[in-house]
Amino acid sequence: MSNYTYLRRLFQAYYQEKQFEFPKVSSFDLREFGLIPWEKKVYMKRHMSFDNPDVLRSYLITDAPRHLYSSGSLYLKPDAPDMNKKEYQGCDFIIDIDVDHFYTPCKDQHDLWICKECGNDGTGIPQTCPNCKSSKFTKVSWVCDQCLDAAKNEITKLISNFLIPDFGIDEKKMKIAFSGHRGYHLKIESEDIRKLNSEERREIVDYVSGKNINFEILGLNERFNGIYGLLEENIGWSQKIMKKIIEVLNKPTKQIEALLLDKNHFGFNSSVVTSFLKYKNDFLELITKGERNVWAIEGFGLTNWKKLLKGIVALIGIELDEPVSIDIHRLIRYPGSLHGKTGFKVQELELNELDDFNPLDESNEKLDPIVFKSKKNLTYKLEIVENKLPITTIKGESFGPYDKGDKIDVPHHFAVFLLCKEVAKTI
Amino acid sequence: MSIPTDLVNRYPWLPSLKLQYSDIADKVPSEFISDLFSKNDSKQTSERVLLIFETAFNNLEDIPNPKDENLSIQVYILLKILVYALNNKLITNRIANLYSKNAYRKMERDNSESDLYNICLDLKLRVNFYDPPIQYGNKMLKDTREKQATNFTIYYIDYLKLASNLRDEYRKLAHNSLQNGYVYIQNRNLMRLIQEYVRNKILIKETEDKASLKSFLDKAFKIQEFKELHDHILSIWAKKEEDFDFTFKLDLTSKTDIMKLYPPCVLEILKKAKEGQNLVHHERLFIVWFLLALGYPVENVVDIFATLPDFDRDKTIYQVEYAKKKKYTPYQCSTLQSISLCKKEKYKDKLCLEGYGSFEPSEKKKLKHPLFYVQIKQYRDEYLKKKEDKKLERVNQ
Repeated sequence: MSNYTYLRRLFQAYYQEKQFEFPKVSSFDLREFGLIPWEKKVYMKRHMSFDNPDVLRSYLITDAPRHLYSSGSLYLKPDAPDMNKKEYQGCDFIIDIDVDHFYTPCKDQHDLWICKECGNDGTGIPQTCPNCKSSKFTKVSWVCDQCLDAAKNEITKLISNFLIPDFGIDEKKMKIAFSGHRGYHLKIESEDIRKLNSEERREIVDYVSGKNINFEILGLNERFNGIYGLLEENIGWSQKIMKKIIEVLNKPTKQIEALLLDKNHFGFNSSVVTSFLKYKNDFLELITKGERNVWAIEGFGLTNWKKLLKGIVALIGIELDEPVSIDIHRLIRYPGSLHGKTGFKVQELELNELDDFNPLDESNEKLDPIVFKSKKNLTYKLEIVENKLPITTIKGESFGPYDKGDKIDVPHHFAVFLLCKEVAKTI
Repeated sequence: MSIPTDLVNRYPWLPSLKLQYSDIADKVPSEFISDLFSKNDSKQTSERVLLIFETAFNNLEDIPNPKDENLSIQVYILLKILVYALNNKLITNRIANLYSKNAYRKMERDNSESDLYNICLDLKLRVNFYDPPIQYGNKMLKDTREKQATNFTIYYIDYLKLASNLRDEYRKLAHNSLQNGYVYIQNRNLMRLIQEYVRNKILIKETEDKASLKSFLDKAFKIQEFKELHDHILSIWAKKEEDFDFTFKLDLTSKTDIMKLYPPCVLEILKKAKEGQNLVHHERLFIVWFLLALGYPVENVVDIFATLPDFDRDKTIYQVEYAKKKKYTPYQCSTLQSISLCKKEKYKDKLCLEGYGSFEPSEKKKLKHPLFYVQIKQYRDEYLKKKEDKKLERVNQ
């Protein structure tokens, strides 16, 4: 039996077993559905609709696709093949946070690349192959607690630093879900927000990500032979930036130094950092107690201040996948469905469940996205087909690292994960 | 909640017009025209409407103050009917920009917070009104902090609906104070958003339903006064229309149509300006720097912006002169691409898409700067002209 056939049967069995617990999205009959079947050639079948959840359930039990999606938009004719004929009614605001789109240090350990030109391989994602300078790679992206925590941290920041205090969005209108792989989705369902067009959505995206902020407009400018900075009392991004600067300046000097030198954060050179550290206490006093607010640090002109503020904004802003939020015709993973690249469930979460949620080792069974655990502790024999695989820690147990050709005997849930990732085959 | 009748008289574009003056506002257009021109004051209304059109066609920014404000409702309705009847995008944009700008100036002159609040309520804008004003920050003025306070906050959805089309960096949500779903907004900025509402209300797309338009015109033209007014406006427009084409007098290339030398990124901005659409900050900067680099006089550059909804001649002159003094270089192609102003795909421009320097595609060089586009086009034109002249010479010999 091929891997696809085996996995499809597993998915069918899951949908059969969970058919009475399968969630129903709001305005179900107005949503467009899409799916990716279990086929070698990856393609998405779109423009589908289901009259009610029962029809969807029976479809899943029969067909069990590899991935299942539904639209953020509502249409009077969701199955019309032409987007212009769907009779668009509005779209929820969708935020996708996926560690694929931002840097986490753990990726240097577990994300693999293989050069398509010379076959060289390694971890982390380089710009070019160190051996042949080609920029064409096969990438194997992996999951670990650390990067999933980073994604969770972003979604928590988004809710508690932006959506609730700034936008005043009621938490009951937010639908949060673990994506089943490397991130989280957040959907805001409100009549008001559904009316926004892409241009207006971009404004919200820019606000929460801090992209395209003009520091001069916020108050940074050179006048009367001095540089005037931002003010903490100014509600909005000025206040956020100033609070973060104060938070950073109150850290131990060694930590500040490392942050300012770090190329993935501020990327200042050592002489600028030395100068900044020398005056940091004066600067802290000025911005917390001072009246004049003239930012004077030796070696710091407007360019370096802007660089510093840019780095601060990056610490505050949310790392989200912008096109997902702006595009009103996107499909997102259906809650409760299975992710074909991991076999994990797309798990809906209440806001109060988010903090303790641990997708790779969840103790609350109702929230556990790892659904293929064997009740009888059965193991499965597989052969590794990918060049190298990193250590994987799932359900508190570590597996690997593995090399191509390794024959392994692993628990069912981990076997499903490797098969879905297409890095192993059954033997 | 109903708003004072007087407010509808002064601001006839308010939705309450339909409630408080349903006898006028609910009439079908042809019936309205028929009634209007049977009244004694119809001449005054016609003159007032004509004045608005003339002001717009002369590219002026202020409609002279009306003698009688009681006619404002008839004027507004007749204006909208004429805009529909004329069915010309350029005229519509021009009228929408002028009329809405004057609505802004009127709110500014009336300077009443309670009027402004009532206008917002009538427009169903979700605003909070604070009296005394609420503080949301400070502004540094040399050594002192000046309190920043306002009477109004507006719900962010309503703010975005009106502000996102303004394309002004200062109105970007991230540059404003947002708290609990409400944006702190200065009275004048709120008026500017309302101006945009008024502009959108007059902006009706050129109708494609020619049959309905024809049927309306057949009925309306039976009323002699309306037909005369319509035709008179068209005759003024016919004389003025060419003023709105960007044919600069500057002799840059001798006998060459200068527009043919512009790259698509420039043509697109000029087209938008001509139609009276809002321009984003980068578009404004780029077109100023580009035209100044080609040696256009400041006044010609300023005139390009005269059609824009937020045009302020004095401010624009100052900014263009400042840019000239600083000698800024226009954005290069890569920058234009990164800020989505490159229009080579939209215009399918061969020179931008394929490059220059060789007939062999693999040997062509990529165009890097829009000014270089002008130079190459100029060179090619002259080369072709010389070739043509030689041919003619040979034929004549």
